[in-house]
Amino acid sequence: MPVEPRSSAESVAEREFLITRVFEAPARLLFEAHSKPEHVQRWFGPKGFTLPLCEMDFRVGGRFRFGMRAPDGSDLRPFGGEYLEIVPNERIVYTSGWDDDAKMIITVSFVQTGGLTTLAIHTLFASIAQRDEHLGRGYAGGVGEGLDRLEEFVR
Amino acid sequence: MVMDAEQLDRTFAALADPTRRAILARLALSQASVGQLLEPFAISQPAISKHLKVLERAGLVERGRDAQFRPCRLNASPLANAAGWLEDYRRFWEMSLDRLDSYVKVMKAKEKSGARRTKKLR
Repeated sequence: MPVEPRSSAESVAEREFLITRVFEAPARLLFEAHSKPEHVQRWFGPKGFTLPLCEMDFRVGGRFRFGMRAPDGSDLRPFGGEYLEIVPNERIVYTSGWDDDAKMIITVSFVQTGGLTTLAIHTLFASIAQRDEHLGRGYAGGVGEGLDRLEEFVR
Repeated sequence: MVMDAEQLDRTFAALADPTRRAILARLALSQASVGQLLEPFAISQPAISKHLKVLERAGLVERGRDAQFRPCRLNASPLANAAGWLEDYRRFWEMSLDRLDSYVKVMKAKEKSGARRTKKLR
């Protein structure tokens, strides 16, 4: 099914993925939409899919667990992760993956200018994320810092 | 989104190295022996063999069976799978962000009507 790109999306390297979109809304509303199950269930996932399993302990160190349901009623494999960094109205960083599987690191950022907010979703794929963990580069000081160091490593 | 997570990890890990990417680029032209692969790179045979092992484990390179001459051949299907998965991933987010766009309008409208009601009550 062809889906016209309406956002700016690019594969930065074969390890990262960035998608951005501008919304006509304040950052705090977009952040709010990301931070509570009653909101997340209203938009997360492809058209026609629902999110009947939506558990969120939305705080640093808290975990989330999502399970999507396809239009035909079948339940998809649940996935989840941990919130690594939360800066209200600015940034959410979390790991995500299927249970028992390697995790990706996803950074959602909200940048507001006037009445418009640019939402950016950056995904760092599991293979590099795992390598980062094994090197003992933790998330102290924020993942922004971690990602900078990671960038140095993979260059 | 159908994907084998482990296979994807191996594909991305294999690609996450400039020497390995260069080996794949060379094999995309034609098959080559290990000796031939050594030529353009200023690295040792053990190092090339290490890279080839990673590429073989990812299913991106196949070794011929001839005892004398074991050519390395590119197998592009894991790359195609990874590319397909990336496209699925992009579409997933595109559709979610479409829904978020609609939903945030609902949130805005709710906020506005809530504010109006508060004004009336004062």
